[in-house]
Amino acid sequence: MDSDDDYFEAEDESSLVEDEGRVSDDEGFLGDTMIVPDDPLGSGSKEEDVYPFVCLSAEQIVELMLEILNEVNDIVNIPHTTLRILLAHFNWDKELLLEKYYEYDGNPEQIFKDAHVISPFKLKSTCKTKGQSSRTDAECEICCSSYSRSFMTGLNCGHIFCKGCWSQYLRTKIMDEGMSQTIPCPAYKCEIIVDDEIVMCLISEKKVRMKYQHLMSNSFVECNSLLKWCPAPDCHHVIKVEYRDRQPVKCQCGRVFCFECSESWHDPVLCLHLKKWLKKCDDDSETSNWISANTKECPKCQVTIEKDGGCNHVICRSQTCKHEFCWVCLGPWDPHGASWYNCNRYNADDAKKARDVQQRSREMLQRYLFYCNRYMNHLQSLKFESKLYALVKRKMEEMQQLNMSWIEVQFLKKAVDVLCECRQTLMYTYVFAFFLNRNNQLLIFEDNQADMEKATETLSEYLERDITTASIREIKQKVQDKYRYCDSRRNVLLNHVHEGYDKDWWDYLDL
Amino acid sequence: MCSIAATRIQRELKDIKSECSGQNIKIELHNDQFDLLKGEIVGPPGTPYQGGIFKLSIKIPETYPFNPPKVSFDTKIWHPNISSVTGAICLDILKDQWAAALTLRTVLLSLQALLSAAEPDDPQDAVVARQYKENRSAFIKTAKFWAQIYANAPGQRDGDCVEKLKKVTEMGFYRDISLQALSSNSWSLADALDNIG
Repeated sequence: MDSDDDYFEAEDESSLVEDEGRVSDDEGFLGDTMIVPDDPLGSGSKEEDVYPFVCLSAEQIVELMLEILNEVNDIVNIPHTTLRILLAHFNWDKELLLEKYYEYDGNPEQIFKDAHVISPFKLKSTCKTKGQSSRTDAECEICCSSYSRSFMTGLNCGHIFCKGCWSQYLRTKIMDEGMSQTIPCPAYKCEIIVDDEIVMCLISEKKVRMKYQHLMSNSFVECNSLLKWCPAPDCHHVIKVEYRDRQPVKCQCGRVFCFECSESWHDPVLCLHLKKWLKKCDDDSETSNWISANTKECPKCQVTIEKDGGCNHVICRSQTCKHEFCWVCLGPWDPHGASWYNCNRYNADDAKKARDVQQRSREMLQRYLFYCNRYMNHLQSLKFESKLYALVKRKMEEMQQLNMSWIEVQFLKKAVDVLCECRQTLMYTYVFAFFLNRNNQLLIFEDNQADMEKATETLSEYLERDITTASIREIKQKVQDKYRYCDSRRNVLLNHVHEGYDKDWWDYLDL
Repeated sequence: MCSIAATRIQRELKDIKSECSGQNIKIELHNDQFDLLKGEIVGPPGTPYQGGIFKLSIKIPETYPFNPPKVSFDTKIWHPNISSVTGAICLDILKDQWAAALTLRTVLLSLQALLSAAEPDDPQDAVVARQYKENRSAFIKTAKFWAQIYANAPGQRDGDCVEKLKKVTEMGFYRDISLQALSSNSWSLADALDNIG
């Protein structure tokens, strides 16, 4: 153990040296160019570049949409309603829209056709003739009733229906099918898309309007790769970033999540592996793994049998079956007679194969359970830490009674913060390791992990211990030392993993 | 039931009576709520279904005509796009291509057209579709025989089919099950008996 500690010490120093090097580099850089970085997290995050993001409310999303609309409209000058459909067609990628728009050299008809809208340039001529055509009543093709022309309406494709049917139609599409940007004209084989203006005109019910607007912003956010909904329940905020990356972002509601996959921030695991892991934990594939590792099927009636000891002469308990067979070779018992130990089928190829399969599945299960237990442990502890926050708050108040100033007791809260961060990281380190083949780098990783785990547990213990007047100074020193150590170990571990990602050290298992 | 659906159905029934006398299709109400109807189409000429009368169940959803009616065959039929067991239909306008401006009349006419032109690449019944593609003469023979047995289609019944069906039913199997087994195995008696049940 001693030598291990030495080794860690050494690594710590080297990483410190590296950090200092980097810091001084930065200073030099700043001195030369006079660019002051916008760093809201302060110097604490000096090791990583700050990942820029902003948190937007639902209203700000609508504003952002309008902003993009206006921006494009300044260039191409198409009615807003048409432009909105066009933009949606191009997944709100305005550059792509403009590129395509001008690719056709002033004749963008194809774009309108692809986006299922009637070209606003063609419109003027056709519209007028339609309007003048007749003043008599017309029949709505949906409800088969006749109405005066003023009660009939439609899109620019010319198919008209009564307003009653229109609003029913839109209601069904919005409320039942959750459509917003892609609702087509109700006429058969007509693909022209309903614009937002006509929806707002025809739908008066507030609930439907709200849902429509929500669906619109939703589709805007979903198809924009730089926007992400906060995954917290009932949170309607959106995070906007400048470039897409696997980075933590923090919503106004307090939830910290990975921008790439929307799960809780899960460094050092990759999104891909986390997803696989969560699926594995969620579905009962492990139950079936357990079954295949610990049970066999009755060769006659296929009922699942778990052997809990005893001899290998098995009689199926199923009332209708009562089949007698050999547990080892699964063949009928009769030829075995009284001397199972001479079971001549024991070495038969398929029996051996079956045993191998079972063996492997047993090992896989053991392995999974190993990582899962540790993952679950930290997850469980993490849940308890909210209790710890309350406890620590009380302690801080106690300590202030004991002649300490507010500022002097803040270290306790900081310690719990660090503890939670460490637990979260530790939790994901087990997911990370689950997907890896053994190699030297993994050994280093596991040493880092072990050291960090040990330190984290000690810190956790300190925080739960009683604080008395006599020991208070001493405890403060110990806690502060410990959480600084934990934090630095956490950074070392994460940096090592990140370096591995860059240098391709990790050898993934095919699971 | 929503009023649009009821008025639409009433209106449609009236139109069908006046317009469709010559088109070999028929729709009538099954109950007073306008949500369950019975339809009939006559097998189009030039197909194995010629002259057969095929009965259909038509369920009208509450959101009709904004959602399609649910249509299935009551009369058993041998067709790649219709399940030979349940009568379920695979037709685009009954699913995502439905439009509110379509009517029951257009649905029935489309079904008639489907009988004339099957789409084996988009099958509902994989067994039938495979036979249609790999052994067309067996398919035609089977479809015609089914139409004669279940849909009262006119014409002399195929002697081979009658005889084999008789053999299997005499062994104690139900007629429908025997016919299904023989048809699925392209009238090979041995294969049918292996796979029956």
